[in-house]
Amino acid sequence: MSIKVHILPYLQYHTGGKDVVVVEGNTVSQCLDDLTRQFPGLNAVLLDSSRKLFDYVDIYVNGESIYGQGLTRPVREGDELHIILMIAGG
Amino acid sequence: MLTPDERARYDRQIMIEGFGEAGQRRLKKARVVVAGAGGLGSAVATYLAAAGIGWIRLVDHDVVEPGNLNRQVLHWERDIGRKKVVSTAEKLGQLNSHVEVEAVDETITETSVSRLVEGCDLIVDAVDNLPVRYLLNRVALTRSLPFFHGAVHGFEGRAMTVIPWESACLGCVYRGAVPETKFPAIGPTPAIIGCIQATEVIKHVAGMGRLLTDRLLVYDGLGMKFSELGIERQGDCKFCGGGREEK
Repeated sequence: MSIKVHILPYLQYHTGGKDVVVVEGNTVSQCLDDLTRQFPGLNAVLLDSSRKLFDYVDIYVNGESIYGQGLTRPVREGDELHIILMIAGG
Repeated sequence: MLTPDERARYDRQIMIEGFGEAGQRRLKKARVVVAGAGGLGSAVATYLAAAGIGWIRLVDHDVVEPGNLNRQVLHWERDIGRKKVVSTAEKLGQLNSHVEVEAVDETITETSVSRLVEGCDLIVDAVDNLPVRYLLNRVALTRSLPFFHGAVHGFEGRAMTVIPWESACLGCVYRGAVPETKFPAIGPTPAIIGCIQATEVIKHVAGMGRLLTDRLLVYDGLGMKFSELGIERQGDCKFCGGGREEK
């Protein structure tokens, strides 16, 4: 299943400047696995040592947060993911 | 009532259908606290003052440093070493003498936050750290004051409007904390986000349009695109979860 992942500027350093990346997976977790396989630098930013998202990271599928559903949430062909990190500057 | 000077000054916005003199009078009566006189604060305060918001309280404890000048456009070279609220209030006074500006050189803390928003109709979040944003979000809820959030990081920005107990609050979007470190910033990003916050404030005060509630607007300056993410009120939100009665 090919899924588009939108990468915001904060993380584009780790994707070589790409703002959209295509990954394979049937769940959010599998998509993250493929994303971090392609761009290993994202591992330390997004996931702790037990592969759980840091609490300052949220994933949105088609514009809706997966908060409360967990990384096992299924995804379907054509779904789009946004990775959102908390930012605090003013 | 508007004076002839004010009618002339605000003529172009009074022309907007649905805004009119009634909208301008609402702006004149509004009392707004802008928390933070940095990058976001420079933009939002400028456009609120220009639009004729009648009373603005600026709160910030910092002094102007050379490293602020790339984005905090109300502070100029001559202001280095001056209090930011003093520098900002001076410029706003020169921009629009109809606007009353109160400069409060104080740190926003758990004990001061309630007093600092006293007498205001709404809160603009233009601070530079998450703990103070959470304090402002909490006081907005306890006092039922609309809360206009903005945040930036490099070429990235976010904005959201909170109508307490009706729409999702900041705690429904963000959980946990981020390390308090020096953040990267390029001037246009807080300008864009601050202008979105100002637009939201004006719409809210004038009673027009659809507010940015239950939606997080995400600005990507590198890709030059905006995304809109749906935000729902969370039952386990530590600020608004469980409803007003339990707070």
